[in-house]
Amino acid sequence: MAEVSYVKASRVFSGNPPVRAVDELSLEVADGEFLVLVGPSGSGKSTALRMLAGLEDIDEGAIHIGGKDVTNVPPKGRDIAMVFQSYALYPHMTVAENMGFALKLRGVAKTEIKAKVEEAAKMLDLTKYLERKPKALSGGQRQRVAMGRAIVREPSVFLMDEPLSNLDAKLRVETRANIAALQQRLGTTTIYVTHDQVEAMTMGHRVAVLKDGLLQQCDTPRALYDRPANAFVAGFIGSPAMNLKTVPITSEGAKLDGVIVPLSRDAIAAAGGLDEVTFGIRPEALGIVPSGEEGMEMTVELVEELGADALVHGAVKIGDASQRFVVRVDGRTPPTLGQHVKVAVRDHSEIHLFHPETGERLEA
Amino acid sequence: MRRFLDRYWYAYAMVLPVVVVIAVLVLYPLAQGVYFTFTNINEGNIANPVLERPATFDFVGFKNYLNVLSGGDSFGAFWGTLVRTLIWTFSCVFFHYTIGLGLAMLLNRQVRGRTLYRVLLILPWAVPAFISAFAWKYMFNAQYGIINQLLRSAGLPDPVWLGQSNWALVSVIIVNTWLGVPFMMVALLGGLQSIPGDLYEAAEVDGATPWQRFRHVTLPGLRSVSSTVVLLGIIWTFNMFPVIYLIAGPNPNARILVTYAFERFFSGASRDYAIASTYGVLILSVLLVFATIYRRALRKQGEVW
Repeated sequence: MAEVSYVKASRVFSGNPPVRAVDELSLEVADGEFLVLVGPSGSGKSTALRMLAGLEDIDEGAIHIGGKDVTNVPPKGRDIAMVFQSYALYPHMTVAENMGFALKLRGVAKTEIKAKVEEAAKMLDLTKYLERKPKALSGGQRQRVAMGRAIVREPSVFLMDEPLSNLDAKLRVETRANIAALQQRLGTTTIYVTHDQVEAMTMGHRVAVLKDGLLQQCDTPRALYDRPANAFVAGFIGSPAMNLKTVPITSEGAKLDGVIVPLSRDAIAAAGGLDEVTFGIRPEALGIVPSGEEGMEMTVELVEELGADALVHGAVKIGDASQRFVVRVDGRTPPTLGQHVKVAVRDHSEIHLFHPETGERLEA
Repeated sequence: MRRFLDRYWYAYAMVLPVVVVIAVLVLYPLAQGVYFTFTNINEGNIANPVLERPATFDFVGFKNYLNVLSGGDSFGAFWGTLVRTLIWTFSCVFFHYTIGLGLAMLLNRQVRGRTLYRVLLILPWAVPAFISAFAWKYMFNAQYGIINQLLRSAGLPDPVWLGQSNWALVSVIIVNTWLGVPFMMVALLGGLQSIPGDLYEAAEVDGATPWQRFRHVTLPGLRSVSSTVVLLGIIWTFNMFPVIYLIAGPNPNARILVTYAFERFFSGASRDYAIASTYGVLILSVLLVFATIYRRALRKQGEVW
């Protein structure tokens, strides 16, 4: 059990110019917290995790675990356990040997190792497979062995590097819930890396979004969704992605396809002086309205039926260009392909405005 | 039968040339060699078409085997030679493997000029064996060889390397080690590169020291490669003729089973084909027994091979 903090930690890969894979990351993780690092590939999330594990140098700044500076401590001395994307199970050892390896290296008595391994195996439903080699296990079972190897050590921090990405979709959803429940039960501080924002939203107590080595925002899933700090976070969190369009702004509101979407006085004040803003609205805050009412004219190009609801992709003319919008509608009565529909903002409180150049949120 | 032929004649036709070639090149000489071991054939009684002389050798049963296995000096002191052959084989393969593994581990990391080192280290392999053998022979020369010159200048004793002493065996082991390391290095480097890097990281996070990582990740990861190259190395070294013969010649202190078979076949008062063949068959049996035991041992450890 320990809290973790990154203090302006950077990882710089030599090259011309040098690549700042992780750039002055500052992050506080509380004891027992489940923190998810999320971002597109190349965002530095795995590097950040590996820096914490001690597998990657910390070129600038520092990292503390449990209040102790571990910047120059080798992995061995950090009291962490890591679950790798490939699981990295030792192929020549049985499941039990894999799980007990760290304890064996530490010189723990054989009977104690056996007891701990059996306890973890019970927790993960692996008791039947303890004598098997990893080769003879399915993907899901191997994943559980990798988890078990981490649990047996009772470390102060769990590190997980995309542990679910080699599983099929159904198993992933199941395992996701299991890992979250397990973490709840053990109460061990956990840092979890994923590129999947659904995993991030469903598992994390807090989610840190990274892009190009820079921390964009770190907050609870709800806050990330409701108040994204910039256009990148707005577009990354949520599926389907938020509609983000650069539109002209007037004293009454944002101008979309001849329709003025009224904005609050505060919002207009925040955008003060700008001619254009990046206008963001989630698919579920838009709706199709009867043809008589005011709204944007949209030509339906694609309808994705998801059962409960349907996603309507279509083109709206903004200025001279045709822009694509996604609208979430009721699944029973979706429009047909090629149909012209009227789209209007259903919920004005869910409009997000961002600076057109910096992408920063314009606080309403 | 007819249907069988109708159906598969094409496959058999395709395989036939290879079967013929193997029969002519391997099976017939092997059968003939085994047959010779039961006769007293030598240069004087073999059929000689030039002199229009018919074969006059006789069937002698197991006499050759009895003579050889009784270990008499006039038949090459079989047991002593076998022991020397085993010393030669295992010391060569041991040095091949350990030095090859060490070099492979050095090359399996990011070093400047890695490609250059690799080429240089493979060089002994690329040079024809007889050229390196002669080069080494000169270097081992007791009076003028560079090795003894160096030893003398360092104030160390300078043995007569290729004289009538066990230094001769030491010399050929040194040369063969030098020649055989590149193969082991290349094979083990391939094996090292097939070990996933995250296993080392997992071991590091698990708290393993470098030595423990070597012991618990590298060595098990190399097992299948190692077992194959060690078996090959043993068979090749056991039968390594050119290095010993070109460097030490018929020196009995560096004699192993194959070189004695060669001596018996090509030199001596009367070229004794029967004894040479007997040695050949005995070498084959030793290797067959060894390979069988080796395979058993591996299978017991759970290696599917």
